[in-house]
Amino acid sequence: LARRRRRTRRDWVKDIYSSDLSPEEILSQPSSSLAAEAQKAETAAVDDEFFFTKKPSNTVSDSLDPDHLEFSDKSKPTLNPAELSKWEDEEMLESIRSLFITGVDAPDGDGNDEAGGDGEE
Amino acid sequence: MAAGSVIQYSGHKCFRHRLVLSILSGKPVKIHGIRSDDKNPGLRDFEVSLLRLLEKITNGTVIEISVTGAYVSQGTATGLLCTKAGTAILLKPGIIAGGPLVHDCPLSRSVGYFLEPVIMLAPFAKRPIQLTLRGITTDDYDLSADLIRTVTLPHLQLFGISDGLELRIKKRGAPPGGGGEVQFLCPIVKQVKTLNFVESGKIKRIRGISHAVRVNPQFSNRMIEAARSILNRYIPDIYLHSDVYKGEESGKSPGYALSLLAESTTSVLFCSEATSKPGVAPEDIALQATRALLSEISKGGCVDQKHQSLVILLMVLGSEDVGRCRMSQPTPQTIQFLRDIRDYFGTYFKISPADPTKPDSSDLLYSCYGTGYVNANRDLA
Repeated sequence: LARRRRRTRRDWVKDIYSSDLSPEEILSQPSSSLAAEAQKAETAAVDDEFFFTKKPSNTVSDSLDPDHLEFSDKSKPTLNPAELSKWEDEEMLESIRSLFITGVDAPDGDGNDEAGGDGEE
Repeated sequence: MAAGSVIQYSGHKCFRHRLVLSILSGKPVKIHGIRSDDKNPGLRDFEVSLLRLLEKITNGTVIEISVTGAYVSQGTATGLLCTKAGTAILLKPGIIAGGPLVHDCPLSRSVGYFLEPVIMLAPFAKRPIQLTLRGITTDDYDLSADLIRTVTLPHLQLFGISDGLELRIKKRGAPPGGGGEVQFLCPIVKQVKTLNFVESGKIKRIRGISHAVRVNPQFSNRMIEAARSILNRYIPDIYLHSDVYKGEESGKSPGYALSLLAESTTSVLFCSEATSKPGVAPEDIALQATRALLSEISKGGCVDQKHQSLVILLMVLGSEDVGRCRMSQPTPQTIQFLRDIRDYFGTYFKISPADPTKPDSSDLLYSCYGTGYVNANRDLA
């Protein structure tokens, strides 16, 4: 339904173990091939110069997130209001019904499967 | 273990994981460039406090902190608060001793910041740990005492760490004043079990803890009502508990929070949490927590994203067999953790689509060959 997954399969093993991309860079790439290309471009740029320049992506993320420097080592993700607001949508709420025991597997019978809400209040 | 091989990192990211991996693997670690570009460079009080806590838990650990490249403090981190914060540390791990311990956490981070690494070490101690931590029990950065009790600890049970495993929340402490107190009890094991967790099942129940300290106790019920307005549509088995702490037990500052967890038929646990903010109604806090829970559920897999690293670590330490776990996409922390594990243990994970036949499923299957880690510290009594 609303969730649309990307088509191309990512090679996680390659991205994690054989690239120098930062974790954030890996996740910002839609698929492995792109990630590899970006890496190529980046290493090429670095090879050209004798001095290492700081990766611009790092500075960007540093300045965007005020917590970045102080609290980058944290285990709870920051709640993103934009991301959470998608759950205000009725269709979105219904889209995950199949993940609950009261839901049905196939999307065909999405009518009234004794909705969980009625009994308990 | 291989003396002389010092593992080196730059920067303050993943600080806790790197120290934990050093202690577990027995390999010294050097971390330099700690906020060296910051206006206020060097270690923060919570990081120094964590080093002191690790010193208490272990025996024979040597920690050196350096300000400009020359190591100024030898032997112990005690008393470092009065020196200028260092931008580099060297940790030479000792053995994990355990036993009864007390630690006062600085108010810059919650007790969760300190408990998370301790949970990774505790099962491999010489003696069972009984750790009392004082400070903030719930904040926005790390797992709260409630989530650790209800979600993190059950994850250890997957690996055969269960008898006597407990977290007691004796007093709550909201930021900024804190004043909370928790006690963590953890049994020791010889070896952890190999994990094989690939069936996500379906969500059968939702539980929650709503608490409000030093504010109108009605806030707690208002949060529960708001959460139910969304969750009631899915399943009938919803129990949201209003946890009341009064007087001394409620800490020094006002605050409230809602912690939620969803459990599947195969005991998968997803969790979320939202904490009070000035000027935001309790209902809105509850809606945030509820929607974050739905986000976690929709990501799928058998392990909540916040617990990926813990599960991955215990898989690496498992017996010499292939451990498997179905999880959603790795978080940035998880990706770095996988790389760090390779540095310390030489273990590579295989990560492949869990359902190759379903193109719209993003679930991944993580598998690795356990290192057969044996708790050599354990008292043989």
